[in-house]
Amino acid sequence: MILEMGRVLARSEIGDLGIVLNIAAPNIAAQARPGQFVHVRPGVRFDPLLRRPYSFNRIDRQAGEIELIVKPFGQGGDWIASRRSGDDLDLLGPLGSAFVIRRATQNLLLVAGGTGIAPMRVLAEHESARRNVTLVMGGRSIQYLWPSRLLPPTVEYVTTTDDGSFGIKGRVTDALRPLLAWADQLCACGPWPMLAALGRMRDEAARASAVFPGRQVLLDAEIAVEQHMGCAMGVCRACVVVTENGNARVCREGPVFGLGEMRFSEGEPATVGLSA
Amino acid sequence: MPWRRPRKKVDRPVNVSRAIEETLEELSADEDEDDSVELAGVDGASIVEAATGEADTGGRMPSPLAEQLSRVELSDTAVITPVRSAERTEHGVDLAVDAARSLRLKNPVLTASGTFGQGVEYAELIDVSRLGAIVNKGTTVLARPGNAQYRIAETPSGILNSIGLENPGAAGVAKKYAKAWAQLGVPVIVNVAGYSVDDYVRVVSEFAGIASVVAYELNISCPNVKGGMLFGCDPGLAADVTRAVKQETDLPVIVKLTPNAPDVVAVARAVEEAGADGLTAINTVLGMRIDTTKRRPVLGTGSGGLSGPAIRPIAVHITYQVAQAVSIPIIGAGGVTNAEDALEFLMAGASAVQVGTATFADPLAPLKVIEGLAAYVKIHGLSSIRDVIGVALPTSQQAE
Ligand SMILES: Cc1cc2nc3c(=O)[nH]c(=O)nc-3n(C[C@H](O)[C@H](O)[C@H](O)COP(=O)(O)O)c2cc1C
Ligand code: FES
Repeated sequence: MILEMGRVLARSEIGDLGIVLNIAAPNIAAQARPGQFVHVRPGVRFDPLLRRPYSFNRIDRQAGEIELIVKPFGQGGDWIASRRSGDDLDLLGPLGSAFVIRRATQNLLLVAGGTGIAPMRVLAEHESARRNVTLVMGGRSIQYLWPSRLLPPTVEYVTTTDDGSFGIKGRVTDALRPLLAWADQLCACGPWPMLAALGRMRDEAARASAVFPGRQVLLDAEIAVEQHMGCAMGVCRACVVVTENGNARVCREGPVFGLGEMRFSEGEPATVGLSA
Repeated sequence: MPWRRPRKKVDRPVNVSRAIEETLEELSADEDEDDSVELAGVDGASIVEAATGEADTGGRMPSPLAEQLSRVELSDTAVITPVRSAERTEHGVDLAVDAARSLRLKNPVLTASGTFGQGVEYAELIDVSRLGAIVNKGTTVLARPGNAQYRIAETPSGILNSIGLENPGAAGVAKKYAKAWAQLGVPVIVNVAGYSVDDYVRVVSEFAGIASVVAYELNISCPNVKGGMLFGCDPGLAADVTRAVKQETDLPVIVKLTPNAPDVVAVARAVEEAGADGLTAINTVLGMRIDTTKRRPVLGTGSGGLSGPAIRPIAVHITYQVAQAVSIPIIGAGGVTNAEDALEFLMAGASAVQVGTATFADPLAPLKVIEGLAAYVKIHGLSSIRDVIGVALPTSQQAE
């Protein structure tokens, strides 16, 4: 992990999903792995103060480039999202844990919600040459879907929208069931309610018999989660979530966790006990 | 049937439909911008100018000092690899201070409790051995899981936090980090928290004999289980804790003042009388943010502690008041981001400073403060940084 001054190469708007920044950051790109993130300083002063975490949306080691999806919301997000080609960006990364794709996996199922597409796109790009990849993405509407032309052509792309403006009307979990039996491995990233729904599917599978289609895939599924962060260096403990092993820092032990490790409560991360 | 784009090797039926882009183009036929990559030219403006449309003055008029310091070359910050330099003096300048009675440090820059973990985390990024000392995360007798989410919220020039003293307990910390601290090559001050006088004493006893531990800092911003009053709000309670810990250890004991006390100066006087070897001013200031969409406080606990540049004037003010009331050294804390901020505290009577929240934004901030102070001593031809301690106090002005 290093501090690196990245240089914005290009900026593009992806519907209402956010702004995609293409950044030259060869040292970070050389170390980055899918699922990891970079902590970006929103300016050069201390107002706004906190860096913002962004999952890699593309890692191009050879070119020394990374890509991030930035929602232009809030003071800090706005500043970062308005960077233009040639601007500097103060980057700290790569941080956190990464998705590990098993060697034996032939059929990889990726599940994305909203900007959770970022690490799934990295996996799609890295893995599609080696195995069959199906990406299921859900969004509020068509404006929130990742453009299919920005995916490798060999990736099968399934989409759902809440309002039915494109693909299946409904949630990603609705589209998922028929694919579970096919998949050897499942990776997901998205908002907490989506991950909690996956958690419920996993619970269902865990209770069911071994012939439940896709049971093992759900049991072994990995997810990347989000939490409000401070340092992203593992020191402040602002970012903890509750796992079966107790509190875990999203910035260190995470953001990638086993789906079965994570404790949910009503579609949100479970609450930490108040005091010892 | 779901829309799918087929893989080349399809092993089950898929239903091919139009690409999202085609549909989007239809939806936004009257908007001429598509999502193609835009290559904006470099216009030569600084990042801040570009963001705000204003000239970049660093948020305030550049003072002559800020200008001088900005001309000082900092070490190349593009890629940092830690280099051990325990014996290093910064540019041959005498920066040594007594951060507390019997606690001489090679320079006056410490990291603040709760913002630097156990020191090992940032060691991956910076040379921690260059720091005057580190203060570890608040440590209690028993492990604590901490507070409910959210634990952090951003505020103007600062943050609110309500971590809830999450830590693995004193015995666990001592066991896990004694070796690592020795390897870091930096003095460690253990930040002690508790809910009874006995708690503080027990935490301190767990660290006895660890060579890297050079002092204790008592976090008295904790509620006393008997009555719920914060130790740091009551001069009597604060003195009781100080006295008990002084009896337990021969190491210097620093008491960390809370600005939320009705009379901070009275607490400072009481703990000095009870034997404290130094003071830290200040801990976080109580504050709250409301989420207007959810119509409830942002932090899980409602209120939390405000830190960062937002509280610097409060911290400098308290340092200035306390410095006139006690004769033990003071460590200033609250919103230090650069050498000029640190000098404010030193001139207000502090003998050292802690850098806390600023490190989250700029992990190099503590080292930049050290380099900036060294540059200041050089530029002004001082014999040591100690020459500036307390120069802004009314008494020293009279003496001159
Ligand atoms: C996330 C966070 C955690 C903190 N934890 C502790 C703690 O455990 N014990 C303590 O005495 N102070 C704690 N503090 C207070 C700081 O040590 C410091 O006194 C305060 O933040 C003011 O300095 P700053 O503005 O440079 O951060 C914490 C502050 C922050 C931001
Ligand atoms: S954000 Fe500070 S510990 Fe994770």
